[in-house]
Amino acid sequence: MPKLTIDGKEVEVAPGTNLIEAARQAGSEVPHYCYHPGLSIAGQCRLCMVDIEKNPRPQIGCNTQAADGMVVHTQTERVLETRKSIMEFHLVNHPLDCPVCDQAGECWLQIYYMRHGLYDPRMVDEKVHKPKAVPLGPHVILDAERCILCSRCVRFCDEVTGTGELGIFNRGDHSEIGLFPGKTLENKYSGNVIDICPVGALTDRDFRFQVRVWYLDTARSVCNGCARGCNIEVHTSRRRLHHNQGRRIARIKPRHNADVNQWWICDEGRYGFRWIDDDTRLLTPTRRADGKDVALDWDEAIGALAEALKRYRPEEIGILASPQMSNEDLFALQRIAAQLGVGAVDHRVPPRVAGDEDNLLLRADKNPNRRGAELIGLGQADGRAILEGARQRRVKLLWIFQHDLLDSGWSQGDVTAALAGVETVIFQGPSANATSAGAHLVLPSAAYVEREGTFTNFQGRVQRFRTVVEPLGEAMADWAILGRVGRALGGADPVFAAGRAEQVFAGLAGQVPAFSGMSYRGLRDAGQVVKA
Amino acid sequence: MAERIFTRNFDRPGSHTLAVYRETGGYTALPKALAMEPAAITEEVKKSNLRGLGGAAFPTGVKWTFVPKGSTAPKYLVINADEGEPGTFKDRYLLERDPHALIEGMIIASRAIDSHLGFVYIRGEYVKPWQVFSGAVQEAYEAGLLGKNIQGSGFDFDIVIHRGAGAYICGEETGLLSSLEGKKGWPKIKPPFPAVKGAFGHPTIVNNVETIAAVPHIINRGAEWFAGLGTKTQGGTRLYSVSGHVVKPGVVEAPVSVTLRSLIYDHCGGIRDGRRLKAVVPGGSSAPILTADEIDVTMDADGLKAAGSMIGSAGVIVMDETVSIPEALMVVARFYAHESCGQCTPCRESTGWIYKMTHRIVEGKGRKEDLDTILDVSKRGAGTTICAFYDGAVGPYVSYIEKFRGEFEALIPHDA
Amino acid sequence: MPDAKHPEFTAEQIGEVRRLQALYPDKRGALLPVLRLAQEVFGYVSLEVEEYVAGLFELSPAHVHEVVTFYTLFFQQPPGRHVVSVCHNLSCHLLGAKGIVEHLTRRLGIEVGETTADGRVTLLTVECLCACEQAPMMQVDERYEGLLTPEKVDRIIEGLS
Repeated sequence: MPKLTIDGKEVEVAPGTNLIEAARQAGSEVPHYCYHPGLSIAGQCRLCMVDIEKNPRPQIGCNTQAADGMVVHTQTERVLETRKSIMEFHLVNHPLDCPVCDQAGECWLQIYYMRHGLYDPRMVDEKVHKPKAVPLGPHVILDAERCILCSRCVRFCDEVTGTGELGIFNRGDHSEIGLFPGKTLENKYSGNVIDICPVGALTDRDFRFQVRVWYLDTARSVCNGCARGCNIEVHTSRRRLHHNQGRRIARIKPRHNADVNQWWICDEGRYGFRWIDDDTRLLTPTRRADGKDVALDWDEAIGALAEALKRYRPEEIGILASPQMSNEDLFALQRIAAQLGVGAVDHRVPPRVAGDEDNLLLRADKNPNRRGAELIGLGQADGRAILEGARQRRVKLLWIFQHDLLDSGWSQGDVTAALAGVETVIFQGPSANATSAGAHLVLPSAAYVEREGTFTNFQGRVQRFRTVVEPLGEAMADWAILGRVGRALGGADPVFAAGRAEQVFAGLAGQVPAFSGMSYRGLRDAGQVVKA
Repeated sequence: MAERIFTRNFDRPGSHTLAVYRETGGYTALPKALAMEPAAITEEVKKSNLRGLGGAAFPTGVKWTFVPKGSTAPKYLVINADEGEPGTFKDRYLLERDPHALIEGMIIASRAIDSHLGFVYIRGEYVKPWQVFSGAVQEAYEAGLLGKNIQGSGFDFDIVIHRGAGAYICGEETGLLSSLEGKKGWPKIKPPFPAVKGAFGHPTIVNNVETIAAVPHIINRGAEWFAGLGTKTQGGTRLYSVSGHVVKPGVVEAPVSVTLRSLIYDHCGGIRDGRRLKAVVPGGSSAPILTADEIDVTMDADGLKAAGSMIGSAGVIVMDETVSIPEALMVVARFYAHESCGQCTPCRESTGWIYKMTHRIVEGKGRKEDLDTILDVSKRGAGTTICAFYDGAVGPYVSYIEKFRGEFEALIPHDA
Repeated sequence: MPDAKHPEFTAEQIGEVRRLQALYPDKRGALLPVLRLAQEVFGYVSLEVEEYVAGLFELSPAHVHEVVTFYTLFFQQPPGRHVVSVCHNLSCHLLGAKGIVEHLTRRLGIEVGETTADGRVTLLTVECLCACEQAPMMQVDERYEGLLTPEKVDRIIEGLS
């Protein structure tokens, strides 16, 4: 393990560590553009220069490996002057688009100019002009003038997705990022180039002109789009609701997790948040009777549900849990099923179309918490059998969480017959669908961004997601709804009395061996893997 | 009259053919080298003080030692025939008039570095040189001088000719390697160095045409002889390409200790039309310009370095009193802006910017800050780039302005 | 009939492509010679030719486009029957390149970078061709022509079919 000194501080680093990373460990920030830990070394921007003793000239940090006994200085006069020079070179042909550029506020030309530039510009000649506002694909739009030619996007498409759509054409200051003429940037991870582009050259079409980034709040969460559970940051616009067309969620960005998603997220996950703020959201507990919808308050709704549950014998109740639910929600549900003695519980409803999977991030199972549902024991029965039981009127109450059975891998005919067969259909979930439209009692769940909890990904990694925004309307977290139902049923399980998700999780950790020893504090940001 | 080594065949009809090459001792060094230990060949070249004749003047024998010992990876010898430095044309002459000298030198050099595959990268615009050299390679194969088991020695060596497609930066060692690999001619970041990880990821030595053409002579007549022809730090004679306002432009062979004055006045007939010398670029366009008072310098690597310039490719461009230095700088700045590969920021942005400024100055629209801006930008960028292309551009940017500032200032309007 | 818009090599030409690819440790090394072959066969390197060649190398078309746009000897539009490239670098500049270029633009009736209306000549200015001892000089198709005067230029142009 090489031991070296950086800015007077001694650090020991892993062999093969470059000086940017070594400096970071020593607490020194080395500015850089083209370097990215998830991509090959380019050494093109020349910004990461540092002074290394016994070297006559500053050297780039990204391509220099830490060596035993090396003495590095990141703040010498010479390094600071060099940074200033490199900043000037980067801005020579850069258009002053800040007032109309989405990157403003998180632009590394702005940030580094303020930290390392602060020179008076002296370029008075006509700047080189290149194409602007060129859509590259469904999600990414290019402004070639703003591009600083760091080549991160090219390397991403070559090395991470292996699709090679992007190139740098021509040479000299007419060099230009682009696609092969006529092609599009269509790989399933195209949005990542927006994150890694340090400037406003590659920006998000979805986010374009919606809201300025300095109005955004951010919270750490986990994508609910598939079983991988990519770590994310959810950015919300709460302070400027007249921007972003009134939607609360502005965008999703990936959060680094070396074991789950590295630095990346797929496009489907990145853009899969519109439903959170759209008009399919269920806002109020509702009873449907005689073709009319009657709004209830929670006391009424919980009462109605408890009454319905008590009306039937345990073998007449079927529960279809959802692998979209958090560990806490599923555990509370499992406690209720146990309390009621209901055995017909399953989480497996096949999708209408098989999900796609690849060697990168995509998992075929488009649910974040299948493992949780399995481990917590919500798969005792077979969903198909429950459906069949409903069709034959042996199951008289069907409690459906989130699923749209009419848009699943089960035949429409079978499902329609089943739903017609039961006496009572309870639907509990965040969004309305064809199944909820025919339910007798509809309970609005909070979306995952509106509460906190944990998901267990396909690797068995339990990961926390945190509250980003307040629930819409009357919506509540499933575990909280279920807690009230449990108490209404006379249950004394402490989980039913929990006031915070953390308490439910603690109950779960105490009960289910796979989760034993876990706690929210212990999960931190990167999560923990369940016990074998 | 000094020894003629490189040019000894130039004026002989059919000098490019195997038969004529053999008449003056061609391919007699080869069997000697094939019988030597590889390390002995390298040692001989080291002792000869042969220095790279393409531009960097790096001691050739020392370069050969950088190939990792005991490496079982395939090793490549790559010949840089991408001659492109303005003012230089010597390699063209060697390819057209003495191609077998390069071939013989290549086989010997490859034995020294344990290479069995040599690439000759010829610039795309050189059609006749390519045709002639290809013919010579064909002759060599037919005579058993290339291919398997050369002259029964057990040593195999093949040559692949690779034609460029028009980019000066492919004359830069690692830019050439990128182009050889089928990519844009983007120079590679170092480390790793080509001798360790070069073409296609394998150990590679890149040498100039003329440098390798010297090798058979060194083997035949000895390192001491070669070293003795030159200075204490650089051996041999070399080829100087002289052009511009001289009476007799052309290729001149002289010992490396020849002075610039002698080249211009003794070898090339002095300045034409009875005019006065104003300035000389001594080592290709990247070499800092010298004034008429600075021509008593020896044209070897260390002599020119001491004079604040460089020998580079030994392309000597002579300018008389009628030359507008600001116009000359604009022409040179235009060249660097056009040829910048664009990979790294300082070069990509400032070559274009500086060309715009020099153009504006020549058009009479210069501003009084422009000259200091060009000088400052040059100095800020020098040493920060991936390769030495930008440092080559800075040579003229700084020297033309510093040595002829008055001429530039005269073009800038007083009220600018 | 080779068509740059619907490029297809003959079996013999494919054989040449494979032969070239086999010369290099990585077949990608043959990209420049194969593009040169394609330009000879199809007249110029159209986007369709780029995509076709990309297929022969299992490269993304974008990376072939990078190479074609980087080097000056690949024509992305059909050139004239003859390409006249006049050097305007330092030695040629000193010996009157500017005048030669102006003479040619007048004589041919086109600007630098353009092709005559009859498709006969494309006029270009280029950087150092390394024939400075013959300055001012130009490259006409594959030939170097030096020690140019307006009269010599006229004779050369007249000789182009």
